[in-house]
Amino acid sequence: MITAVQKPFEEISEMVKGSQNLLILGCGSCVTVCMAGGEKEVGILASILRLANKEKGVSMEIVEDTIERQCDREFFDDVKEKIERADAVLSMACGVGVQFCSEIFSRQIVLPALNTRFYGATEQQGVWTERCAGCGDCVLAKFGGICPVARCSKSLLNGPCGGSQDGKCEVDPENIDCGWQLIYDRLKSLNLLSRLEENEPVKDWSSGRDGGPGKIVREDMLL
Amino acid sequence: MSELKAGTNLERVLQAGHFAITAELGPPKSADVDVIKTKAAYLKGIVDAVNITDNQTAIVRMSSIAAGVLALKEGLEPVIQITCRDRNRIAIQSDVLGAYALGLKNILCLTGDHQVFGNHSTSKNVFDMDSIQLIQALKNMRDEKVFICGDEIKNSKKAPVVEPRIFIGGAANPFGDPFEFRVIRLAKKVNAGVDFIQTQCIYDMERFEKWMKQVRERGLHKKVKILAGLTPLKSVGMAKYMRDNVAGLTVPDYYLERLSKVEDKAAEGIKICVEQIKRLREIEGVAGIHLMAIEWERRVPEIVEAAGLLPRP
Amino acid sequence: MGEKKKIVAFCCENSSYKAAGAVTESSALDLVDIVRLPCSGKVEIGMVLKCLEKDHPGVLILSCPVDNCKYITGNLRAKKRVEMVKKALQNAGIDENRVHMDFISSIDTYKFVNIVKEMNDRLLNTHPVNR
Repeated sequence: MITAVQKPFEEISEMVKGSQNLLILGCGSCVTVCMAGGEKEVGILASILRLANKEKGVSMEIVEDTIERQCDREFFDDVKEKIERADAVLSMACGVGVQFCSEIFSRQIVLPALNTRFYGATEQQGVWTERCAGCGDCVLAKFGGICPVARCSKSLLNGPCGGSQDGKCEVDPENIDCGWQLIYDRLKSLNLLSRLEENEPVKDWSSGRDGGPGKIVREDMLL
Repeated sequence: MSELKAGTNLERVLQAGHFAITAELGPPKSADVDVIKTKAAYLKGIVDAVNITDNQTAIVRMSSIAAGVLALKEGLEPVIQITCRDRNRIAIQSDVLGAYALGLKNILCLTGDHQVFGNHSTSKNVFDMDSIQLIQALKNMRDEKVFICGDEIKNSKKAPVVEPRIFIGGAANPFGDPFEFRVIRLAKKVNAGVDFIQTQCIYDMERFEKWMKQVRERGLHKKVKILAGLTPLKSVGMAKYMRDNVAGLTVPDYYLERLSKVEDKAAEGIKICVEQIKRLREIEGVAGIHLMAIEWERRVPEIVEAAGLLPRP
Repeated sequence: MGEKKKIVAFCCENSSYKAAGAVTESSALDLVDIVRLPCSGKVEIGMVLKCLEKDHPGVLILSCPVDNCKYITGNLRAKKRVEMVKKALQNAGIDENRVHMDFISSIDTYKFVNIVKEMNDRLLNTHPVNR
């Protein structure tokens, strides 16, 4: 899923300043799962904003709603009126949802309540970690199912740098496992260590961000 | 004697089988040329070549190529360090052409320290390629006369091919984890075409010897010249810092004890370093040493002298 | 404005709720709206904030003693959430003391009364306008 975290309250508060009629719009997909921008978080943010406004004597009508996904056009139908009635939409979707909302309602001011982080997994309840860098040219088959592009701080393709210590990455030993230690351990357990002896040539990065904004077209799906 | 690849002094010394000595010269954190002149004066005639670091530990310094040219003028033979952190394959190949054109023919290929450790920790990194791929690129430029993309190294269709003939270096860290991977990394560098290796600074001699044993088992010492890295300890504080803050470095307690027992820490640090050199010379496959006297270039001559390595060939 | 809003006390039915039920005569009972929860771990950040938003002067979360939760760690989960609420209130410039958590057993009737009274006194000092 795409993971995200809520922006600091102060930043949000500054962004919505001046709005008389704010819609806080949650997203029911990735950011609900990672507990950053679902229905629950919309309620909490709305409550806090209302309380803060009351404390400061600011008058601001705050409406709450959450749709299934903010990255698909059809789900916006249900909240069309609410969006048009508001003078600003505080979207609790990832960066994709915020942009799509603003694209569909091009006259509306759409503001981001979250900082979008990465493609990650729920490692355990309350912990999300990055797994994929979206490079567009998957190399997982070569590395025992562990991605050196996403999980090595330097995206090294030929093994660990000197900063690998006790299974941890020197960039942040408390929080980052050395991706290459993981790859090494996995391939060792699969009896495939010989694979690591092969020199990996320079990677073609053009299928990812470096090739410019991505686009996928499925001819068979086009209407 | 086989044909020289680049014809640098360092290559000649190593080819002839002499025990080579390289040192390190960190460019200034300013545009101050005198810093280079001062440091160069200490090293001239004392070492075979001098590494010019490339924004080491991700702290902005004068560019290694510019500082390298200045060092060359001072009569040193530079080894230009190139890291993959700040430049993509376009910029690096361009710099290699430039460096060669300016007379800089030894290049050390490094992945580079992550920028979080430097003074611009919020910057973006590049890591378009890694050190092994960089070695391969330089090898292909020199021997196949092509760029990474496969294009020939010439100015136009009819123009002559003028390839950069580089003596290619790489680094090895025998102390990182996983330990067994360390020699695999070296083997990959050899496959990629590295000519010489400088190791991370060594304090844990036993682990280094264990690593060298693996190197010999694979016959790698016959394919690449290995220079053992050394950093003389200046004080107990520095020893502790190296032990606690540099990933992959262990400084055994007996060195700390020796330093703490004596009055003149610097002299003891140098004594330890000289002892290490003597021990390293006994290890099969060690072709020389790489002295990284961090901001201590002025003490390099006495170390080299005490180790009985003067005069240089 | 309608009638004065009371302090809301979220009470675990295994401890504080029983303690509250055993209080026979006390003015403290007039100061609180008691909400029965199967475990204090049921308390959610949004619920607490909603009470404040609806002009209740304060919220109490009263769970079992620390090592004596019927569901083992329910009270600890509640504690973490209360910390989150307090942090959120702080960030928004709102007095975090409007939310208070305490740990009491089913026989602590006296403690229950005291907690409510103390909370009320604190709120009288810091939020006289709300009363």
